Formats: sequence, C-alpha cells, structure tokens
Amino acid sequence: MSALAERSAVALVARREVTERVRERSFLISTAVTATIVVLVSVLPTLLGAGGPTTYDLAVSDPAALPVARAAASDAGAFKLRLHLQRLSPSRAQGALDGGGVDAVLSRRGLASREQADAQLVALLQTADRDVSRAQALRAAGLHGGVLQRAMDPPPLRVVSAKAPDPERDRKGRFAFVAVLVLYGQLLTFGFLLASGVVEEKSSRVVEVLLATIRPRTLLAGKVIGLGLIGLGQLLVITAIGLTAGTAAGSITLNGEILAAAGLAVAWFVLGYAFYAGAFACAGALVPRQEELQSSIAPLTLMILVSFFLAFAVLDDPSGTLAHVTSFIPMTAPMTMPPRIALGEASPLEIVGAFVVTALAAAALIPLAGRIYSNAILRTGTAIRLREAWRLR
Amino acid sequence: MLELIDLRRRYGDVVALDGLSFSVEPGQMFGFVGPNGAGKTTAMRIVLGVLTPDSGEVRWRGAPIDLAGRARFGYMPEERGLYPKMRVRDQLEYFALLHGVPKARAAAAAQDWMERLEVAGHAGDRVEALSLGNQQRVQLGAALVHDPELLVLDEPFSGLDPVGVDVLSGVLGELAQSGVPVLFSSHQLELVERLCESVAIVKDGRLVASGAVADLRERGAGGPTVRVGVRGAREGWLQALPGAEVVGHDGSGALVALTGLTPDALLDAARAAGTVTHFALERPTLTDLFRKAVAA
Repeated sequence: MSALAERSAVALVARREVTERVRERSFLISTAVTATIVVLVSVLPTLLGAGGPTTYDLAVSDPAALPVARAAASDAGAFKLRLHLQRLSPSRAQGALDGGGVDAVLSRRGLASREQADAQLVALLQTADRDVSRAQALRAAGLHGGVLQRAMDPPPLRVVSAKAPDPERDRKGRFAFVAVLVLYGQLLTFGFLLASGVVEEKSSRVVEVLLATIRPRTLLAGKVIGLGLIGLGQLLVITAIGLTAGTAAGSITLNGEILAAAGLAVAWFVLGYAFYAGAFACAGALVPRQEELQSSIAPLTLMILVSFFLAFAVLDDPSGTLAHVTSFIPMTAPMTMPPRIALGEASPLEIVGAFVVTALAAAALIPLAGRIYSNAILRTGTAIRLREAWRLR
Repeated sequence: MLELIDLRRRYGDVVALDGLSFSVEPGQMFGFVGPNGAGKTTAMRIVLGVLTPDSGEVRWRGAPIDLAGRARFGYMPEERGLYPKMRVRDQLEYFALLHGVPKARAAAAAQDWMERLEVAGHAGDRVEALSLGNQQRVQLGAALVHDPELLVLDEPFSGLDPVGVDVLSGVLGELAQSGVPVLFSSHQLELVERLCESVAIVKDGRLVASGAVADLRERGAGGPTVRVGVRGAREGWLQALPGAEVVGHDGSGALVALTGLTPDALLDAARAAGTVTHFALERPTLTDLFRKAVAA
C-alpha cells in the first residue's frame, strides 16, 4: 500500500463530491427547476408579444376631437404604438373609462385617463393635435394643395448612425438577460453548496479522519474542483436547453455569435466560481454548524447580489463607464462581462484583459484561502473570526 | 515501534502537553489513560499529524513520520466522524482509496471489514440511518479498511454495549497478534487492564507512569498488600501488630499494607491469633494505580 500522490488524492475527493451530489434527488430536482425557469424566461417574452407595439383603446367623445384622433392613429407607428379608436357619447365614454373598457378618452377639453397616461401616448396626441391645428391655420391663411402638403410634410430628416443598426440587438439583449440570471443563480448556488459541504465535514467531524490522511489543501482543492465540475456540467445542460428552447420559440437566433457568447458566459462562470470558491470555503470553515453558515457567507452573497444589479445596469448601457469599470473588478466582472460580450459591446482586447485580471485575482486568493481554511477547519466549538483564523496555526 | 519524544503543545495559555514521552512496541496493545484534559487526545492528534507539536517529535520505526507514513496508520478520533449521508459501503471504499489502497482491492477490503464488524447488512444504508453502535463499527472499519501498520483509537469503547465491546476487543486483539501496535485511550480501566500489556498514565500533559501492566501493579503499592481473614481471633489483634496497617475490609477479611512486616511473619501472627480462613497477596488494580497517580 503506497501513499497517494497529491493529485490522485485531489481527484478522489473531487470524484466523491461529484458522485455523491449527482446521486442526490435534490440535485436533479434543482437542475430541472432551473432549466424550466430558463425555458420560461426565454420563451415567454415572444409568446406575450414583447417588443411589438403597445395597443391603446382610445374613446373619442367629441366630434371636434375626431381629426386629431385620426391623425394620431395614422402616425402611431412612429411612436411604437397602435391606437384603437371608438366613437362614444361623453357619458358612455366616461362609463367605459371607469369600467376599464378604454384606456383614455379624447375630447375637445383634452385627454382623460384613469391613471397617469403613458408619455408616448401623450406625445403622439400632442403632435397630432399640433399638426391638425397648424393645418387649419395654414388653410385659413390661404394655403392649399401641394403648397399646404409640403408645409405639413417636409421631407423626413435623414437618420444616419455611425454604427449600422443591429437587427439582432433585441434578441441578443434577451440572451444577455437570461445569461445574467443564470450566472447569478449558478454562482450563488455553487458557492453556497461548497460552503455547506465544508461545514458538513466540519460539523460531522469526518474532517479529522480525512486530515489524518490528506493535507487540508488537498481536501479543499478536491472539493472546489468537484463542485465546480458539477456546476459546469449543470450550466452546460441548462445552456443547451435554453438555447434550444429560445431558438424554437424564435426568441434568439442560433448563430456563431450567440454560441460564442454562450461559450464565453460559461467560461466566465468557471472564472467567477474560481474567484469566489476559496472565499466560500473559508466562510464554511469558520463556523461549526450549518445554522451559522448564512451569516458567515452573507458578505459573499451580498457581493454577488450587487454584481447582479450592476449587470442589469450594464445591460442597459453596455458601453458606458460603469460597464468598462466593472469589467475590470474581479468581484463584478463574472456578472457584467457576459452581457457585454453577448451584446457585442466588449472588444476582444477588453475581454482578454478582464479575463486575465479576474484569473490573476483568483490565483492570488487561493493561497490565502488555503491558509484560512487549514487553520479554521479543525477548530470546533464556536465560530472563529477571520483575523483569528489567519493568525492561528 | 512508535515513539513519542518530549512532545509539547500549548493552546494559548493552556498547556496541553508538557514534555510527554513514551513508546509503543510492535504488536503491543497499549492503553493510554489519564483524567479528562490530561492531553491524551492532543497527543493522538499529533501522532496522526492532525496537529503539529510546538516541540518534540513522533518517530515510527525509528524515523520521523511524513504524510505518506501516516496514510498507513489507522485513526479513530474521539469525536467520531463519518459522512452522515454517504452509504456504508461507499464510505469504507472511499477511506480505503484515500489511504492508497488500489481500486481493485478497495471494494473487497470494504466488504471484508463490513462482514468482520457485522454491518454487512447495512452496506447500502446511509450512515446517519444506523444505530450509534453500528455507526461506531463503521467508524472502526474506516480506521481498519486499509490494513494499517499502526492503530490509534481515541476512546474506542465509549458508547458500546457489552457485545460491541467484545467484538471490538476481539478485533483489536487479532490485530495486535498480527504485529500491529494498537494505541488506545480509555476511561474504562478494568477493560484496559484486561486487554493491554502496557499502559501510559498521563496527567497535566506529563507521563506519570508507564510500562507493563504487571510490572506497574507489582511495583505500584510500595510494599506488599495482603488480604487476611482469621476466625476466632480476638478483636484488635491486627492493630497491635507493628509494621502492618489495615487499609480496608471486605467479607473475606482485612486488607493489610505491610510496611515493616514480611508476609510470612503476618501469616505466623494470624495462625497464632486464630484459624486462618483467607490469606492472599493482593496487587493493586490499574484503577488503584490510576487513583494514586492522579492524586499525587
């Protein structure tokens, strides 16, 4: 019987993590639940017609308002709106408004609605009103025919953008949104599972038997790698399901760009997990019981939550200052880079740079985490403070 | 041979080990006894490398121990530890593999030990579903599954019913006979006296006494102790004898510590006093030695 090489010991520990975890029913259930959520989020927006024009039911209670309403209805497309007009008597219009039969009532006195009217709708009606009044005024001033036509409809302003508009922009945005959601769930879940696995070994005292055979760092490395592999495998399955469902529903277009973005999002999970894993393991090693784990990992879950919200801000403005800055903070980059990549707003240089920064930070954290973990893992009794764990031996 | 040499370890201001030294011979069943907090667990953890000493060292077969050497030890910590949700067979196999048993042999070793420890019927059960006694058997299996060269057990008998004690002492006896030294701590001193050839008694992190149990009992009392029963003797005949001190009584007679008198002289005096019904040289039990050592 020979002692194991450290690498095969790490592999043994990792394999135990994988086989024990995958055999748990709760793991299969959680995978199914996550996949279902991803499918729903990728399919529902298309089914609900998101992205199309918003339709308003507008009652016209006054013949004098009719020209304005008609002009508005014909211009609605430019405002991404659709108007559905109904001619009603003032009293019936009021009744329909109260009963929710119409969204707003247009009369000579103006626009009445139950809640504050949508700004787009108001702008559309203002423009229409202005056009109608102006045409009347010009006609009264003696303008007719072609002259009036030219005065009312000047040739449209030419709109040129330096970057060609991306017809896939909305679809990429949807993919990026789902990617942020999944990465958030995955980082949080596997960080927690790791910390809780460490506490399980500590509270069950099996760690003492283990450490009589292998080094603390071997155990830590095996656990981190094992759980990371499960997280990666689960993420690949979820990604495949999500891409398939999204393509089938027409929410995304499966092309090289999306596949590359998906691949890089998975890579960012690996990197994010590598960055957070050591910290989660230490948080677990500091406490003696599962009950105390929540408070111990709270700073880490908060960090991930903050990154999650920042990722949404970045999704809104993927080339702004916030987007550039958070891409180079290892704590936030795993959440904010993938949506930027998906939207095509990160240059290859920036992607590589952010990747290197986060990878270096993760590598720098490993020995620190190893030291804290090794010092704290055998201390039973009460929770240990971080500084204490650092100085112990 | 396992040697503990001048081990010292402090936890903050608390001195757990204060220069502890003793050695365990090959094939020896060695009892490690001492009051709570004497440093037994600390010493065992140092042997297994779970703790590092402030100074001193542990040698195995004449050389300092490294991680590879420790992988060939078997260890059962005082606070039992197994993966609660892992199945018995998987658990034993895992510990065999961790100790370097090749994959092909690990499964067979797990099966073998489950049978020897009479838990084979629970092979597919999660450990948390087992009774405490059976959990303890699995725990012992985890310490034995790789055929260790040395066995270190912290309070292996605590929590076992008499049948469990018999199974465990049988297994340990076989191992010791096959040449594996077994070092174990226990508060059950009668058991230690029955099972062990040698003991070490520690107190406050220091060795108070160590050696073969028989020698310790021989030397332990200072002078010989004799239990003597005499019928028809007049009251107080013993008290009148110089060089003898009555230290106890039971149904068969008085327990007399001889300080100046020889056993022969006491027997003569007893025959002169009446009819001798009981006369036996008595050696102190391990419990007596322990009480004396710890009280000092």
